[in-house]
Amino acid sequence: MTDSQQQQMIRDAMKAIAERKPGRTKLVYDKTKRTIVAVAAGADAPRALNITADDADMFAVVTLSSAWLRDQWGLLGTQRMVSALFSSWDDGDAYTHCELGPQPGPTIVGGMIVRGEGKLPAEAARLKIVLADGKGLVGQDSTFLAPDGSIHHASAFLLGDGNEQPLEIAFADVQPELAMRRSGLLETQVLKDKTVLFMGLGTGGAYAAIELAKCGVGRFILIDRDRLSVGNVVRHPGGVSQVGRFKVNVVRDLIHEKNPDAHISTYAIELTHENREEIKGLIEQANVVICGTDNRPSKLLLNKLCIEANVPAVYGGAFRRAYGGQVLRVRPKQSPCHECFVAAMPDEASDVEISSATDAAEIAYSDQPIAVEPGLSLDVSPIANMLTKLALLELLADKKTSLSILQRDYDAPWYLWLNRPEPGTQYASLPPLSESSDEMTINRWYGIYFDRDSECPACGDFISALAGAYGLDPASLENLPIASGKDALSGTDI
Amino acid sequence: MWTSEQRQRLGLEHAALQQEGFGQFSVYRKESDDTYYASGYTLSQAGYRYGLHISIPSGFPNQRPPMYLTEPCPLLMRDGTLVSSLGVSHQMHTLEPSGNGMVQLCHWRDARWRSGIRLHQVFLKGILWIEAYEQHIATGRPLADFVPTMAERA
Repeated sequence: MTDSQQQQMIRDAMKAIAERKPGRTKLVYDKTKRTIVAVAAGADAPRALNITADDADMFAVVTLSSAWLRDQWGLLGTQRMVSALFSSWDDGDAYTHCELGPQPGPTIVGGMIVRGEGKLPAEAARLKIVLADGKGLVGQDSTFLAPDGSIHHASAFLLGDGNEQPLEIAFADVQPELAMRRSGLLETQVLKDKTVLFMGLGTGGAYAAIELAKCGVGRFILIDRDRLSVGNVVRHPGGVSQVGRFKVNVVRDLIHEKNPDAHISTYAIELTHENREEIKGLIEQANVVICGTDNRPSKLLLNKLCIEANVPAVYGGAFRRAYGGQVLRVRPKQSPCHECFVAAMPDEASDVEISSATDAAEIAYSDQPIAVEPGLSLDVSPIANMLTKLALLELLADKKTSLSILQRDYDAPWYLWLNRPEPGTQYASLPPLSESSDEMTINRWYGIYFDRDSECPACGDFISALAGAYGLDPASLENLPIASGKDALSGTDI
Repeated sequence: MWTSEQRQRLGLEHAALQQEGFGQFSVYRKESDDTYYASGYTLSQAGYRYGLHISIPSGFPNQRPPMYLTEPCPLLMRDGTLVSSLGVSHQMHTLEPSGNGMVQLCHWRDARWRSGIRLHQVFLKGILWIEAYEQHIATGRPLADFVPTMAERA
């Protein structure tokens, strides 16, 4: 028996112990060689060692992308070897193929995949992965099914100081494995062709984007002009390593970590009246729009554009210091829109979280400053969760899934959530959660119905209603007076 | 570029001003650059004349139209300082002045504006501001003492 065969038997035995499965070999202590050897099952074992599962989980693991290797298979056939880069994690405990995701690890090492007996040039790589005939080994983590139908068994080695240290290797076929896992949850692949547009990628918007990526949504349009700051990190899914980057790029990478095949377009811009046609063009590509900004003018303009494009939208927002929050779902011309909401419930619509200096500046005065008072991430999460769920239901509205039953439960346009009975609000004297079964309390969602305004300026016929109120025909109004003289603000001649 | 809906809205706003008893105010079109504004003069209860000017932004009515007091100019506080020097003031209900020092009156903030608010409501707030300003001149107390923080509904 060669050393490499013996090493392979030891590895198999250790792996079986680590996985708490019976193995075909067991380990014994060879007194003569004063070392551990592997013995085939049934052989006389003079002295078995007591090796625990934790003791056995000692091999570093290499993970290689199956999809990438399939793409490289032709090249590998002609050149016999191809190079690849791996993220080295945890002092060399794991080597992850950089092609698996967008974000590399702290240290990158080179690897070489060799087919058959190909020889590596000296110091060509730190990792060597050898693909040998794997007939009869189907279904193991270390086997690879090539595009030509051939099956290969992979062995991995860490190279250094003239030695080859064996490593565990596993292939990851990311997209099929993710799709299989998701299909058990939603019974459908329809989400991969759905497009969600995000206006604002603060805590709520970013959370919703990542959750929808986990669900399998395949297309994203991300719009936010802000960069991630250190202060954002206590709530935002992006971390300190990402500070300074545009939020659209941070969230794009986080989405790709969950759904590597997602198509994502990013726009580090702000919605304004000047670029409304450009944004409207993007909205028309979407199946649903998620609005995660607390900026009133942006919300109302977005509302108008979504109605014009006939695209449903979901608006989420926390109240001040996130003592609660609300989510509004707008189905154009079927349910109340955001303008209807603002007109019908001005106090609720104006109760927004002041989570940034920009938010504060919108309502502060020089002689009456407004403090920045963001709420806890923990308190924003339920609102972001509801935002995501309502968006998901809109995406699946025309499909029969196990979530369809929820259409019955989520049929109100507006949802209210309270994290605490905030002093100074109408909710200050809510009964304790434990003492109430039918009164309003914290930690419950309340679906609230209100009517659409048929004369709403955004979704109704405001112009006709206004003209009718004054007995006018909007099609035959008198021309407006023409300005003359000097411009009052600039002092120049008109 | 103005949409036909915007032009219709402005035409209706002008007609409504005349019918709502705000006939001293009109919506004007500047032919040279195809822009709009609304303006006019009003007399306070004490008989003083004031000029009000509302610039119509390209995003109107979704975008809040700023309102300026154009006459008298400069506008002074009781202590003789310029009202425009206050900038965004809660005590005097003012926002950023225009480039040539016209005082911008706070009617609705951007965070409270909605497109259903009509120009006659904006002018009404301007007239209320003028009356409160004259009380400030008479007593020295801040304007906010006479006009509570403007509610969402006019």
